Amino acid sequence: MDVLTVTALCKRFGSVVAVDGVSFTVGAGEVVGLLGPNGAGKTTTLHMVLGLTRPDSGTVEMFGHDMARDRSRALARANFAASYLHLPAVLRVGEILDVYAHLYGLRRPAARVAEMVEMLDLGPLRRQQFSRLSSGQQTRVLLAKALLNDPGLLVLDEPTANLDPDAADRIRGLLVEQAVTSGRAMLITSHNMREVERMCDRVHFVSGGRIVATGSAVELAGAYGVDDLEAVFLRVARGGAPSSTT
Amino acid sequence: MGIVKRDFYALRGNGGRLLEIFFWPVLELVIWGFVSVFLRANNVPIAVSMLLGAVLLWQVVGRAQGELAAMFLHDVWSRNLLNVFVSPTSLAEFLTGHVIFGAGLIALSTAVMSGLALLLYGFGIATIGPALVPFVTLLVVMGWGLGVVSIAVVIRFGESTQSVAWVLSAAFQPFAAVFYPVGVLPPVAQAIAHAVPASYVFEGLRGVLDGHGIDWSGVAMAGLLDLLLVAGALAFVAHALRHARRTGRLSKFGE
Ligand SMILES: Nc1ncnc2c1ncn2[C@@H]1O[C@H](COP(=O)(O)OP(=O)(O)OP(=O)(O)O)[C@@H](O)[C@H]1O
Ligand SMILES: [Mg+2]
Repeated sequence: MDVLTVTALCKRFGSVVAVDGVSFTVGAGEVVGLLGPNGAGKTTTLHMVLGLTRPDSGTVEMFGHDMARDRSRALARANFAASYLHLPAVLRVGEILDVYAHLYGLRRPAARVAEMVEMLDLGPLRRQQFSRLSSGQQTRVLLAKALLNDPGLLVLDEPTANLDPDAADRIRGLLVEQAVTSGRAMLITSHNMREVERMCDRVHFVSGGRIVATGSAVELAGAYGVDDLEAVFLRVARGGAPSSTT
Repeated sequence: MGIVKRDFYALRGNGGRLLEIFFWPVLELVIWGFVSVFLRANNVPIAVSMLLGAVLLWQVVGRAQGELAAMFLHDVWSRNLLNVFVSPTSLAEFLTGHVIFGAGLIALSTAVMSGLALLLYGFGIATIGPALVPFVTLLVVMGWGLGVVSIAVVIRFGESTQSVAWVLSAAFQPFAAVFYPVGVLPPVAQAIAHAVPASYVFEGLRGVLDGHGIDWSGVAMAGLLDLLLVAGALAFVAHALRHARRTGRLSKFGE
């Protein structure tokens, strides 16, 4: 059974059509990427998946729960991190994780927090206030929060935007490994094409609120007759169609 | 209860807020205390206990409302609100957590002020007697009702309306008959005062300090108005959240 099933989502803000009939699924252990130019509707789609924004039409089903009716039960098994979110500024890292361990109703909060500190290398930062951290360090804390409840579905909106290449690489490795070993499903947006190539099993190109192309990075490059995802992106973003020779 | 822990950590991490919690009530207490001492020294027949009792009790409304709103606004300012809303925590649990912590803060600030009133002016809050229990309860609930309204306003109309949170309870003070009887107000204001739960409490306070015993019909009326206020506030905040999800405003609290 799919972890996430999104069907015919539409959302309009005043005269702007942000999302226009988007459908896709994410299965257990699968990493799916949404790619597309600024304003394509990626964040709006993610926020509808998470129940932060209500779709005008269409449905989101997470772990078999309809998000319009059964939000809390679905959200207990999902989590979210985004480059634009922060955590309470005056709280220390350890306190933040403790609070979220409780908000997610974890049974052994202290032990889980310790695991997260270990996993994301937060030991030296544990007693620091969130506002004092560098943005890369803050990103690691946000990811620790997002992994706390060992989510079956992890939604990430430009997760590595603030990380240095070394930290970003290690985080990607960690996330991909966990998707494989724990069967975690992931839904990701990113403007880093190499990140998408490395992480995603399947990519949906979004443009003007619609999915205009779908496939693995290799399949897409093949379909457009180019070398890599970056070239596909440029073709799609500039209105190109797949090359007819392939 | 994760929200309660959060509030506790936030307070510990921000010494300035602790100061804020005590600063205004203590300032009012000191000023009104000396005003009453001065008036008495000039043989104006005035009960120190009336003024000080009123100051002590009114701060309960302001604190209950202000702290509830502040705890919510801290999540807005630190761009943490979306993290809370993608957790399985419901709006009801969220508000309950803040209210539980807020109750602790009110108890603390009232205890400090009562101690100070006794020390500086020899006014023991116990003078009010057992009536204190219904009075404080009615005022706290009114404060929370207004606190929920201020949260709803920010969710419904956006962050730029957050000043409502700072002025809402003060806006009700003239109609709460804190320092004067409802009877001195002009007719229109009297009509408004009769709809404000606190006005019955402060009329009741004066009655008790004059030795008339508790006016239970006033207490009942205030209780009824409190219930209406809280029910209305909860309906408003639920509506505001639905509206914010539909218009995309909730999603913009991340930015
Ligand atoms: N809450 C909102 N209120 C009004 N308009 C919105 C709102 N959220 C998004 N929009 C509009 O909807 C469109 C899609 O925005 P969205 O944030 O989903 O794009 P995106 O694909 O995430 O872009 P980016 O790559 O820049 O993050 C844009 O035109 C944007 O201005
Ligand atoms: Mg976006």
